[in-house]
Amino acid sequence: YPSPMTPMTPITPATPASESSGIVPQLQNIVSTVNLGCKLDLKTIALRARNAEYNPKRFAAVIMRIREPRTTALIFSSGKMVCTGAKSEEQSRLAARKYARVVQKLGFPAKFLDFKIQNMVGSCDVKFPIRLEGLVLTHQQFSSYEPELFPGLIYRMIKPRIVLLIFVSGKVVLTGAKVRAEIYEAFENIYPILKG
Amino acid sequence: MPGGGHCPDCGSTELVEDSHYSQSQLVCSDCGCVVTEGVLTTTFSDEGNLREVTYSRSTGENDQVSRSQQRGLRRVRDLCRVLQLPSTFEDTAVAYYQQAYRHSGIRAARLQKKEVLVGCCVLITCRQHNWPLTMGTVCALLYADLDVFSGTYMQIVKLLGLDVPSLCLADLVKTYCSSFRLFQASPSVPPKYVEDKEKMLSRTLQLVELADETWLVTGRHPLPVITAATFLAWQSLQPSHRLTCSLARFCKLANVDLPYPASSRLQELLSVLLRMAERLAWLQVLKLDKRSVVKHIGDLLQHRHTLVRKAFRDGTAEMEAGEKELRERCQGPEQGKEEVASSSLDLPEGKRPASPTPLLPPCMLKPPKRICPPPPVSTVTGDENISDSEIEQYLRTPQEIKDFEKAQAARQAARSVSNPP
Repeated sequence: YPSPMTPMTPITPATPASESSGIVPQLQNIVSTVNLGCKLDLKTIALRARNAEYNPKRFAAVIMRIREPRTTALIFSSGKMVCTGAKSEEQSRLAARKYARVVQKLGFPAKFLDFKIQNMVGSCDVKFPIRLEGLVLTHQQFSSYEPELFPGLIYRMIKPRIVLLIFVSGKVVLTGAKVRAEIYEAFENIYPILKG
Repeated sequence: MPGGGHCPDCGSTELVEDSHYSQSQLVCSDCGCVVTEGVLTTTFSDEGNLREVTYSRSTGENDQVSRSQQRGLRRVRDLCRVLQLPSTFEDTAVAYYQQAYRHSGIRAARLQKKEVLVGCCVLITCRQHNWPLTMGTVCALLYADLDVFSGTYMQIVKLLGLDVPSLCLADLVKTYCSSFRLFQASPSVPPKYVEDKEKMLSRTLQLVELADETWLVTGRHPLPVITAATFLAWQSLQPSHRLTCSLARFCKLANVDLPYPASSRLQELLSVLLRMAERLAWLQVLKLDKRSVVKHIGDLLQHRHTLVRKAFRDGTAEMEAGEKELRERCQGPEQGKEEVASSSLDLPEGKRPASPTPLLPPCMLKPPKRICPPPPVSTVTGDENISDSEIEQYLRTPQEIKDFEKAQAARQAARSVSNPP
């Protein structure tokens, strides 16, 4: 039986601390994995599902898509699945459950084992330009800035272990998080460095 | 050499010839006993018949080094010589290559990657000595793809834990400018186009500094900015004869490749110069455009520090003020403060020059391509019930399956007809 719908408060954090930036990074992509717990026949799945793509010569997995939450799944014959494109952890889990249901309806005894968030990507805008050449000098042990290769500076933060892409326009991309708090913490750490 | 070939110690017949410090020795491979020492003294005529043994072969240093590594080390030395680098650079680059080779991931890499690694080691050495070598040059010399180079470069810097300084812009300007074939008349370079090297270098440097200060360099490939600056410097030194020459033609007669972004950098630099010209009293009246401003580059550069300060206001302060203004306007016109009314937007027309533009990178000055509305706050818990009908929309009907199978079979048949076994 479905559980009664309880009104949920927004997932984003409440009023930021007084000394923080006041900017909250938006989550853009969540990658999660789950084990469906049974071997799958990818040819059958590709035949019987409308939303599946399967080119064994190109890639050894079925690529499946659903509209809500708008996500893509890679389904392997071992029964393991990767779910990408969700904008929150909860949406990623809901999407993964829907893919598992599709596979069940296609005739496989799919379960939902070891669901895990593997990576979270967030982005935000500090709204002021950043002298990347200056940042790579002052924080050289964490930074890599090669304008001949890529316009952004790659900042590898140690605590938390997050990689940030910092651009001259002030836009920042944060990736490598397993939990959302790591994204927020990484941004709060980098903001005073960027503000300088 | 004595015949027989038995080790006097253990009696084994497994004797091998081993070269050690230019002496040939016969050694038992079982017990290590040195059977013959080789000739210690020679007559003059004997020495004439002896072959010279190279140091690296006689010390046995190459016995531990694989052929692939030896080839790579030779390529490193070759590349250093082609680039005419100082001899100390060669040893450093070779050391980096050897260091890289100690990692199993590099030893097992494809030949293409090992070839590119040669370039990476040379580039890192040059960067550490502030020698302005670009990745483009290295890739051209190695006939390598920049993408492959980039991957290996980033990997090796991380693997060896190296601190690689940034490319020095001033040094790059000097090297790059010097490669322009404009300092002597030739069949392709008319006399009016010939320019003094020092004058051109000095002006180009000033223009590149100006570009750097006005956010045209950060985040961009350094070379196209320098190409644009060199062109403007050259044009401005004799504008009457050179304004008719285009950037493309300039690069062609100077025998230098025209990088694609250079035209865009040129336009940006001209816009900056025009803004500065608006602040110079005797140029305001001339109503300059992107062509005529070139004639006055000398003057503009002479006063560039003052002009940049006057022409551009602090971009950050302006953005914050602008946002504050917007918020106040949204709250209601009655709440608008007096300071808002006296902002630069309300200056009387014609009394002052156009209000200074904010000093921001070009990407921040362009209007956003599309306005992304903030995403609605999600109330998804992940535990919602999933209805059957929602899932069924993703399943094919039996008729659809039959049709799909028919189509697949037809495609298979068509394929086998066109490709008979």
